[in-house]
Order: sequence, then C-alpha cells, then structure tokens
Amino acid sequence: MLVQAMALAYSPEATPIDQIAGELGPNGLPYALPIHPNLVHLTIGLFVIAIAFDVVGALYPLEKRVFRFLALPITRGGFHDVGWYNLLACCLVTFFTVASGFYEMLTAVPLPGVVSTFGLGSMTTMLWHGVGGVLLLTVITAMTVWRGFQRYLWRRDMGRQVQWLYLLVGLGMFALLGLHGTLGAQLAAEFGVHIAADQLLQAGADLHTALP
Amino acid sequence: MLELLPPLNDHNLPWMDTIHPIVVHFVIAMALIGFVFDLIGVLWRRPALFEASFWNLLFATGAIFVVIIFGQVEAGLASPYGAARNILDIHTTIGWSLAGVLSLLTGWRYVLRSRDPEALPLSFLGAGALVSALIMVQVVLGDKLIWTYGLHTVKVVAATREGLI
Repeated sequence: MLVQAMALAYSPEATPIDQIAGELGPNGLPYALPIHPNLVHLTIGLFVIAIAFDVVGALYPLEKRVFRFLALPITRGGFHDVGWYNLLACCLVTFFTVASGFYEMLTAVPLPGVVSTFGLGSMTTMLWHGVGGVLLLTVITAMTVWRGFQRYLWRRDMGRQVQWLYLLVGLGMFALLGLHGTLGAQLAAEFGVHIAADQLLQAGADLHTALP
Repeated sequence: MLELLPPLNDHNLPWMDTIHPIVVHFVIAMALIGFVFDLIGVLWRRPALFEASFWNLLFATGAIFVVIIFGQVEAGLASPYGAARNILDIHTTIGWSLAGVLSLLTGWRYVLRSRDPEALPLSFLGAGALVSALIMVQVVLGDKLIWTYGLHTVKVVAATREGLI
C-alpha cells in the first residue's frame, strides 16, 4: 500500500516541460541549435591541448634535436605558456558549458524505449552525464588553481613548469572526458535529444514536408 | 569486393560513432582561442599569449586535414535529404577551403614569429577575425546537419533504411 502511494507521488499527470512546450521548437529548445555541444568543442579541445603541450614541455630535453632539425624556433617556456593559457581558458568556458548543458538537459525529451550502446536508459545516461559534468568542472577548476601555483610560485624558476603528478592526473582526465563525451554523444545520436529530425520522426511527421 | 568492406552499424558507420565531430574539437577550439589570445595579447601587451596562439594555430592546421578525411568518409556514408544535401555541399566546400586558408594563415604567422615573436601586426589580427567568422559559419552548417537533420543518428538511419526519408 505504501509502495503504491509512493509510486503515485512520483507520477505527476503532466511533466514540467509541458508548461513551456508551446514556446519550444521541434528540437525541444527555444532556439534553433543547441549551445552545449558547441561549448563542448572548446572545453575538450582546450583541456586536451593544454595537457598535451605541458607533456611536450616536460619532455623537452628529448625533443630539442627534432625541433632543431625542423628549423622551428622553440622555447620550453612557450610550450608551458600553451599549457597554462589553454587550461585557464578551458576553466572559464567550462562553467558555461555545464550551465548550458543543464538548461538543455532540463528541456530534454529523449526518445522512449531506447537503450544505449552502454546498455543504459535515457534517464540513467542523463544523470551520469549531469553529475559527471559537475565533477569534471570541479576537477578542471582544481587543476587550473594547481597549475597556477606551479607556474607562479612553486616552479617559477624551473625549466619544467609542471609536476609529473599533474600530467598523470591530466592524462587520467582524458579517459574521463572520453567516457563522458561518449555519454553525451549517445544522448544525441541514440536518444535523439534536441535533434529536430529524430523528434519529428517520433511524432510521426514526414521529414520531406517537416524539414524541406 | 563490397563484402571486404566492414559492416555498417545502426549509425550507418563502420565505427561506433561519428569521429569527425570529435576531431573537429581541435580545429574549432584551437583556431578560435588562437584569435582570442592574439586579441588579448595585443590589447594587454602580453607576448606570451602570441606564443600560445601560434602553437594553437599550428595544431588546428594539422588537425583540419584529419577532420576532412573523417568528414569525407562520414559524409559519404550519410544519406542527406532535403536542404541537408545543399548544406553538406557547402560544408564540404568551406571545409576544404578552410584547410587552405588555415595553412596560409599559419605560414604567414610562422614568418611573423620568426621575425619578431613579441609583435603582431593588426593586419594579421584582421585576417584572424575573418577566419574565425568563417569557422563559425562552418560550425553552424555542421550543427544543422546533426541537430536539425540528424544525419548518422540511429533514428534517422533507421527511417532511411525503411524508406521513410
């Protein structure tokens, strides 16, 4: 009896999205193209290249001859400049990446009955992607502070501007970002979230007339 | 001969998911941030940002060729319909053009950096602004192919195979 009552308490007649459904386009958003996936380009690109260039800077003694052969004038500090400024930019942008992600997840209407390649349903995928996004933002922010301390205080006068542990954490983050990004890609390509064509097909529309 | 090709999955791809939008992170992010770094570097007189910008631009230029290779394969395996056909054509044309434009911009930057790594002429900043604008147009076109027309999404691929599109 209690279980039945609880189940009823969690089964509202109309979902909250119905309150604004009239203002949304066929993609389930009040604008034509989602913002979150575009900011994701910046978050992932900037983070990966920041760590990659710090790795190049850290391994500089091994690479000197190659760059001399290429006649490409380089300084070790230049590589670490990329590592620092890209991570700083990544950190700033990612606040907006996560914020837009939450807005677009709150307005998401995944296709019903779909199970992802990972064997997860849409709600589980969204929950992991949402919580994971906040976790990644936290780690990116912490790493930016850590990187700043290394650059301006702890290792200011050293050739190698970053600790090996920092690079190791960065490489671990590559794996997390890859997994996290795959969940996001599944929300689009498998669950059809905010994809106009998928949503129209689900509604029974003919794409030749709905999307000429 | 056709049976030698790998089988296609429910995204109509021989691999798990589209690779083009993943590799393209490194063109969009690096080229755009390069321009932003140049702008801030000029306004705030921070030459260290010019160095970061140069490397980002160089990386973007290398990455765009990988992006084009995957883009061509995945475009070939997509079944564009309606206006998506035109959009894909324009996206392809701008994509190849951007490879040339980015290469030229990087070559110019290499010469500028060799002469004086701590200065940047306004003409380069202007060119960077134009290229950034072109990249944004290209992003919008690519976005339309995925987010409006759903190319390579499971639902659209299934509908295409059923002859509904």
